[in-house]
Amino acid sequence: MFGWFTFVLVVVVGLWLYAIRRAPEPVSKARARQVQNRWILWGGLVLPITSMAVILAFGVPAGHQMLPLPPAEGKALRINVTAHQWWWEVQYPDSGIQLKDELHVPAGVPLDLHLTSADVIHSFWVPRLGGKLDMLPGRTNVLRLQADEPGTYRGQCAEFCGTHHAHMKFTVTAYSPEDYQAWLREETVND
Amino acid sequence: MTNLSEEANCKREAQLEHVWGNLPGWGALAAVNHTSIGFRFMATGMIFFLIGGVLAMLIRTQLAMPEQEIIEASLYNQIFTMHGTVMMFLFAIPVLEGVAMYLVPKMIGTRDLVFPRLSALGYYCYLFGGVIILSSLVLEVAPDAGWFMYTPLSSNTYSPGPGSDFWLLGITFVEISAISAGVELVVSILRTRANGMALNKMPIFCWYILAMALMIVFGFPPLILGSVLLELERAVGFVFFETSGGGDPLLWQHLFWMFGHPEVYIIFLPAAGIVSTLIPVFARQPLVGYRWVVLGIITMGFVSFGLWVHHMFTVGIPQLAQAFFSIASMLVAVPTGIQIFAWLATLWQGKVVFHLPMLWIVGFLVVFVCGGLTGVMLALVPFNWQVHDTHFVVAHLHYVLVGGMLFPLIAGFYYWLPHVSGRMPSDKMGRWGFWLFFGGFNTTFLLMHLTGLLGMPRRVYTYEAGLGWDWLNLISSIGGFIMAIGVAVIIVDIVLHFRFGRRAEQNPWGADTLEWAIPMPVNAYNFSSMPDITTRHPMWENPELVESIAAGEHGLAEVQSLRRDIYGSDAVTGKVREVVHLPTNSWLPLMTATVLAVVCVSLLIKAYLIALAAAAVALVLVLRWSWENGAHPRAAPVGTNDPVDPPLHSRTCDGPGLWGMVVSLMANGTLYVSLLFGWFYLWTAAPQWSTPETSPLALIPLAASGILLTLAVMIYHGAVSRLRKRNAGSLGLRLWLASAIGFTHWCLLAWVLQTSSLQPTELAHDAVLTVALYYLLLHSGLAMIFTVLQALRVQRGYVGSSLPYEPIVIQPFWVYTLGVFWLSFAMFLLLPMAWGAP
Amino acid sequence: MTPSPFHPINLVLGLIIWALWFVLLYGGLSIGCAFAPPDAGDGAWTWINAASLVVALMVTGYLLTCAYACWKASSPSSAAKAQPLNTFISKTSAAVYLVSAVASLMLVLPGVRLPPCV
Ligand code: HEM
Ligand SMILES: [Cu+2]
Ligand SMILES: [Cu+2]
Repeated sequence: MFGWFTFVLVVVVGLWLYAIRRAPEPVSKARARQVQNRWILWGGLVLPITSMAVILAFGVPAGHQMLPLPPAEGKALRINVTAHQWWWEVQYPDSGIQLKDELHVPAGVPLDLHLTSADVIHSFWVPRLGGKLDMLPGRTNVLRLQADEPGTYRGQCAEFCGTHHAHMKFTVTAYSPEDYQAWLREETVND
Repeated sequence: MTNLSEEANCKREAQLEHVWGNLPGWGALAAVNHTSIGFRFMATGMIFFLIGGVLAMLIRTQLAMPEQEIIEASLYNQIFTMHGTVMMFLFAIPVLEGVAMYLVPKMIGTRDLVFPRLSALGYYCYLFGGVIILSSLVLEVAPDAGWFMYTPLSSNTYSPGPGSDFWLLGITFVEISAISAGVELVVSILRTRANGMALNKMPIFCWYILAMALMIVFGFPPLILGSVLLELERAVGFVFFETSGGGDPLLWQHLFWMFGHPEVYIIFLPAAGIVSTLIPVFARQPLVGYRWVVLGIITMGFVSFGLWVHHMFTVGIPQLAQAFFSIASMLVAVPTGIQIFAWLATLWQGKVVFHLPMLWIVGFLVVFVCGGLTGVMLALVPFNWQVHDTHFVVAHLHYVLVGGMLFPLIAGFYYWLPHVSGRMPSDKMGRWGFWLFFGGFNTTFLLMHLTGLLGMPRRVYTYEAGLGWDWLNLISSIGGFIMAIGVAVIIVDIVLHFRFGRRAEQNPWGADTLEWAIPMPVNAYNFSSMPDITTRHPMWENPELVESIAAGEHGLAEVQSLRRDIYGSDAVTGKVREVVHLPTNSWLPLMTATVLAVVCVSLLIKAYLIALAAAAVALVLVLRWSWENGAHPRAAPVGTNDPVDPPLHSRTCDGPGLWGMVVSLMANGTLYVSLLFGWFYLWTAAPQWSTPETSPLALIPLAASGILLTLAVMIYHGAVSRLRKRNAGSLGLRLWLASAIGFTHWCLLAWVLQTSSLQPTELAHDAVLTVALYYLLLHSGLAMIFTVLQALRVQRGYVGSSLPYEPIVIQPFWVYTLGVFWLSFAMFLLLPMAWGAP
Repeated sequence: MTPSPFHPINLVLGLIIWALWFVLLYGGLSIGCAFAPPDAGDGAWTWINAASLVVALMVTGYLLTCAYACWKASSPSSAAKAQPLNTFISKTSAAVYLVSAVASLMLVLPGVRLPPCV
């Protein structure tokens, strides 16, 4: 996508500069009209429409994947996240675990994050895992994410939410399935 | 012989200057002349630009390095909020309006805008509103919830200070000015073009401004409504955006972006108009594809109203609905592409002479196309989810706004400088300014795309070291300062040129449009006689216009009865239909704006009684304003030598006033439709929407009051129909009767409201209903007062069978009031009942 | 039922129809999803998507007829009215109708793939 757009940019600008430099021969009126219409038709209609087609062809399937439709196999892990000024309340409804500012998840398993807010609008975002979704008071939005690799991912509130918005961060730790089970056991024992 | 006529011509021009000029000294504050007002808009706007720029520099200083604490969080939030607010509301739109107000009458060959006092009122509202907003920064209570003021962050609970109030009230105040300019520009372009300037002969710039002005008319009301509702929620606790009670914070986002997205195009269109005006001049070649460009303008004007949700892709709207907006967003690429390639084709066919303004045009192209392309990417939902609210968006928005607005604007400044000063700008220093600005701009914002892709959110006052953002931010900050130096060079250049610039000859760039037929520097009346124009390129095809206009060889060369006269013409063909006599210098606009400022400030300090009193004074002033019209001794009293063919506009039935009324009602109607939208939106989408057990209003009396209103409108309508046939028998009586019945209606409606069991502070349902009722009361109250005024004018002899103008202007207002009443009755009461809710 | 091809209302009528269609589509979708949401598992082939596709075809068809009418009126053969102003209005209007037709159809294309209410 970036390649294609850079290309368009360079070509358009190049054409302009050339058009400015160019000293045209006088041409007949009819010929001039023809040239004009060709420019506008190709540049003004065909180019934008093909660009749109290209990027929609990319975009619509990619968007489809992000829908919280039932996954093909297995079950998505549900986690409830409630945002507060300026921290994250994390809850695992299946196991009753409660956490603050951190999520622990199994890698390779789809996650359904049920997002809501206790006060103002926040937005849940883990840049390396996927898109963001807003957290609104009074509503619950469901975000489908999946961490493919074990590791630690940084997350941050992405919708401006007041004074300490810049410090509203959290971490997502993804484990291999066995480590995740171990973590689960430890958490439930601790409680 | 020639000597004598030259002397006569001098005397003639002196008299024109006397009639059209501003008052001396402080009297300049009473000026209504479009040249003065347009100029003031531009100058004030540039001052706000510098203030916004200083705020931007503060932002960049704070972000230059990670974990800095130069500016602490709460101040930083005020600064970026004010930067966005100042740039969008106090700089971009007003400056462009100023350019339009200055240029449009000159391009369409007339002497002033049609509602000169409205121009002046708009300016003062803008000035006072801007000062009020900025004073909050000085008092350190500036709004700090971002320039789009999302609720609930901006609500009472989470922003208890007065910051949000400053924003809501100040911006609403400034928007009055935008809408009045919008109405005025629409009517001027449609109704006061030079004789023979049919739609297809209009300079392309005027098409752009026409579209911009109409977009203002339809685009601003949603935000005004939103601001009023939010202010009501903050001040008296009405429920609109609070979830408990049945409100929804998303309603604010919808209302805001229904305004906010069109606004971007309101900013872009006039700037593109500048590009379309300049390119043909420097290419020595008429604009290629005039019709295509008009198509592009119209399409852009419409499609840009269908995009607002692309700012809300991450709030959790169903994907299919998002896809509609995604597609619509990409569709705008088509009209943009048409324009870009029409410009390209023009350059292609022409022999380009390269002057300083062209440099800025090329800068525009590079920067804007880049911003446009990232815009298309942003319209793609999955990509948007990734970069929304990051610095990628900050980069995109500056590429579009600075590229699409500031570059053409500066090109335009350089281009029209000789028109204002009579001198040419310097090439050398101008080039320095350009390259510094252009280089600085790209240094600041090009890499910022990457910063955003690496995950840096926007609106953070600081960030951790070691995330890969450090060097990028440092470079952006350095670029910002280079850009600031560039701005300084440009300003110095422009200031110096007034003193040292080379004298310009007439039409220095060899342009084709009519504003260059005016002597330089400009005079107060533009054209000393008003030519017929039947070509799109008058100065190319008839360069001798300069002399013939000055010699008084065309229309309206002589001042009559010390009136400011211009032609009014047909909206489509441009044929002259009437002589429009314009009001002269007046203190009323300044006084009205001052009183409105008092309203605004007293609302801020919660002194509601003072606010009410001041509002009443403002109404009186406005009524006085409308009093000095038509056959009033200060306007155009009936005289023996009144022109007959074409007649004076106040003696006709279809003058510009009627057009102004209808266009204002379009804005008003948009406000009302936004309220209806809010109603249906909350009804279907608010998570906790609930309705009261029993209907809070007494239906039968309400319907009865509606019948009274219908009766009043019928009587008024009858009176006006007879008046149109020049039959003024018992006109005064009928008007009195209509206002009396209107008054009974008003009292009954007020009684219904008084005795209702509405609980606007508990239920969103009741809050919306209450607002609707107040809206109806306001309208029928005003209609009644206007009618009383007309009845009085009949008694004074200002309205009568040969002076039918004003009652006809009021008529659409009555009809609108009636329509809104029954529509409200159906939508707010009957429909919910039919649906089963009480 | 089209207005005279030389009336300036044609310059905006096509896009007004597009705008109304857009409002209807978005509003209809919201209301449809609020009161009778199809099952998310059904994918794209639901009554909502089908209905919107059908209406889109009708709107597009109407706009194309208008475009054709304006275009024909502007051709030199109907010379009776061939003043530059009339030609300008009818030709530009034809293009506006065409653009509106394309835009109206484009709006529903994602409905082929995406389920309506999630
Ligand atoms: C002159 C050089 C300028 C610089 C260096 C600059 C810099 C910035 C920066 C760094 C931000 C990001 C604030 C943040 O998200 O933390 C910002 C936001 C913004 N800028 Fe500028 N800006 C400039 C000019 C302009 C102009 C000319 C306009 C409009 C015509 C503009 C409109 C905005 C808007 C609307 C925002 C968003 C404010 C918000 O997030 O509430 N800027 N600017
Ligand atoms: Cu937050
Ligand atoms: Cu937008």
